[in-house]
Amino acid sequence: MSKWRYLGKRLLMSIPVLWLGTSMTWFIIFQGPIDPAANVLSNTQTQNTERYEAAREQLGLNRPPLEHYLDWMANLFTLDLGQTWLLYPGSNVNALVMDFLPRTVWLGFWSVLIAVFVGIPLGFYAGLRSNTLADYLASVSGIVWRAMPNFWLAVILLSLLVSSETLLGFDWDTFLIDLPSGVTGNPQLSYMAGRPWALLTQPGETLAATKKILPAALVLGSASMGNEMRIGRTAVLETRSQKYIDLAKAKGVSDRALVWKHILRNALVPLVPIITSEAFLLIGGSVLVESVFGIQGMGFLFFKAAIQGDLPLVGTLMFVFIVLMLVINIAQDILYTIIDPRVGYEEA
Amino acid sequence: MSSLTGSESVLAEADADPLTDRLLAHPRPAVIWGGVAALLLLVEAGALAEVSLRLLADLVGALPGVGDAASVAALADAAGGVPTLLSRETIPNQGYWNGSAYVGTFLGLQPAWAWLIRVALVYAYAFACLLWVYVGFEWYRTHYRVADWTPRDDTVDRLRGHRWGLFGLAVVFMFVTMAVFAPALGPTTVDQNLANPYSHQISYWTGSEVATSPVGDANLGSRSQGNAQTNVGPWSYDDFGRFHPFGTLPSGKDLFTFIAAGSRISLVIGLLSVGLSAGVATVFALLSAYYKGRVDDGLILLSDSVMGMPQLLLLIMLSVVLAGTWIGNLYSGAFVLALIFAGTGWPYMWRSLRGPALQVSEQEWVDAARSFGQTPGTIMRKHMLPYITGYLLIYGSMTLGGAIIAIAGLSFLGLGVDPPTPEWGRAVNAGQEYVTTASWHISLIPGALITLVVTGFNAMGDGIRDAIDPESDSAEGEAGGRGGGA
Repeated sequence: MSKWRYLGKRLLMSIPVLWLGTSMTWFIIFQGPIDPAANVLSNTQTQNTERYEAAREQLGLNRPPLEHYLDWMANLFTLDLGQTWLLYPGSNVNALVMDFLPRTVWLGFWSVLIAVFVGIPLGFYAGLRSNTLADYLASVSGIVWRAMPNFWLAVILLSLLVSSETLLGFDWDTFLIDLPSGVTGNPQLSYMAGRPWALLTQPGETLAATKKILPAALVLGSASMGNEMRIGRTAVLETRSQKYIDLAKAKGVSDRALVWKHILRNALVPLVPIITSEAFLLIGGSVLVESVFGIQGMGFLFFKAAIQGDLPLVGTLMFVFIVLMLVINIAQDILYTIIDPRVGYEEA
Repeated sequence: MSSLTGSESVLAEADADPLTDRLLAHPRPAVIWGGVAALLLLVEAGALAEVSLRLLADLVGALPGVGDAASVAALADAAGGVPTLLSRETIPNQGYWNGSAYVGTFLGLQPAWAWLIRVALVYAYAFACLLWVYVGFEWYRTHYRVADWTPRDDTVDRLRGHRWGLFGLAVVFMFVTMAVFAPALGPTTVDQNLANPYSHQISYWTGSEVATSPVGDANLGSRSQGNAQTNVGPWSYDDFGRFHPFGTLPSGKDLFTFIAAGSRISLVIGLLSVGLSAGVATVFALLSAYYKGRVDDGLILLSDSVMGMPQLLLLIMLSVVLAGTWIGNLYSGAFVLALIFAGTGWPYMWRSLRGPALQVSEQEWVDAARSFGQTPGTIMRKHMLPYITGYLLIYGSMTLGGAIIAIAGLSFLGLGVDPPTPEWGRAVNAGQEYVTTASWHISLIPGALITLVVTGFNAMGDGIRDAIDPESDSAEGEAGGRGGGA
């Protein structure tokens, strides 16, 4: 099987996954034990038969389930996400998602970046100096780091930064870049609206937004960081014992070239699927981290919708998340086929 | 038979003996072991009977229209009256100072020391039991087992030499002990301190006389709310002479009792969910490995779809949807949580088991069994299952750690286990505002314990993996150990 056929198969496979996942969501929301129409109305409104019937009508609950299902699916797949009921009542979900998604993407981007640029070098360092004190220190801290619950880490980091002046000796809010709004809250990303190049042309705003998101991103990336460190370490250890390394040594390749060219590059291969599969955890973890740091992102929106009982919105957001996961998955496959030429041959 | 050498013929003959014959031929070690085991069990018999009867009562009460829950509960109460060595009645720590001496504590000691002695005894007892089980295995090996050596011996030996794995095992065992002995470990009881503080009275020394007060009022007077005046830190007494090993919650309730009770519910949910998802994952792994093709593709599709929905979000969605139903009210919502976990978690475990199962299905003995005319069910159960049980242990251990994180994460958000029932995540949430104040203990201690326990489960998984298959170093299934990112 060539790698293109492998990639094609993976792409084709994602269609039924999308359909099945969305169908399960529909079933849980609309055929579950909770009446979504009664749930989106307040108590007094539920008493009002007229309002209740109107809500049922609008949610399409008085139609046969199959018809409702087909209609709901058709709406989602044409990206018509409907409107909200309880949360920001009456607003368009498409607009809401466009408003909230950039913050989550910004958060996810930085947490992946932090994990990659801290975890992998540390892991490689530990692997190159295996069985030294530095290695043990790095390995143990990686393991503990991985076991720490994100929400707990977020709570601690937030408290530390809020009272950084008395505890750490410097004020985080004014440290290097001035952040008048404090540690919590949304990063200001509006300067990039419609002009993504502003990311580079307005470095002041970019830095401010980065600093704002940094604590949350550090927490969210922590688990991946520990994981990538561990796997990076094993990858280096495995690569080091390969025969071609012996050959390179025998040929008289300099130590520096040996490490950079022969060991590190090959050790990167097993890390690619790890990095992308960590992205799954980021989406789940964003719920907790965003609610602790008060960032109004997708996880925050999902959580608010869930606890307030706006079930139609929960279902719609779940669809958005499934699409997001599939996109990440496909990106991983593309990346993997580029990096590792063996892909597709093993699976056959 | 004539071609066999001496020892082999002995072995073959002995092979025919059932275990009971071997025991009767050489009863001494077995009798000693059984005697000590019975003794160990006897000192805790009352507690054991009470717990099992109470579980039965809960079960009977939960199922509509079956039996009489009240009579079982009465039996449980009666069993609770049987004296046990390690109960709070035998070594009481809840006494008061009457101006010259402690009244009501064990040997008139300070409450802190009395409590510490009880905790030390509970852990000594638990480790003695563990040791005795291991001794039993060793004696069985030397005295009764026919074979001098089996591959499992090597596994056990490797685990014995695996320090990291042993560390994990010890941590997990201490956590399990905490969950099992939760009522005896707390300096006070859930009912008295957490659930119904106003229906209990305590005596205390006001400085000039002994007075009584409802526990609820005492709790109000021993709150931990950040400043030096209203704070009861770890390892300290409150104004009512009550000892708090981990300090108090913002509501003035005892944090250690809260955590001990919370460990029980975490462990129950964890074990139940991992057990269920392991069962589903094993059946599916065997099916997809045996039938391959369509069945395998269908299962891949199903598991990909479940995994396509972020696990934590699915947990949130399902616990909201199922919250009001009868199943959602079983055991403070813990039961439905375990079900949801199993329903959303099996694909991760199935993924990890599928590879080993496929390898086994390629073996010659599976072909041989098939050509012998054995049914697929028998082949899967007898010729494939034994080879993947080891992997089940590894991934089960790691998933359990993840489940504990995820449960805590959900209760941190205010979902999952219903509020009055103690859960670790809720303590972290309660102490959120006080992390940098005098009451730092409320959030930090439960969080540090979660980290320790999860590290322990991961280390145990590592140890078992290295013991079963020293060659392997797979990072698969690691994502399952993260509780969906909580």
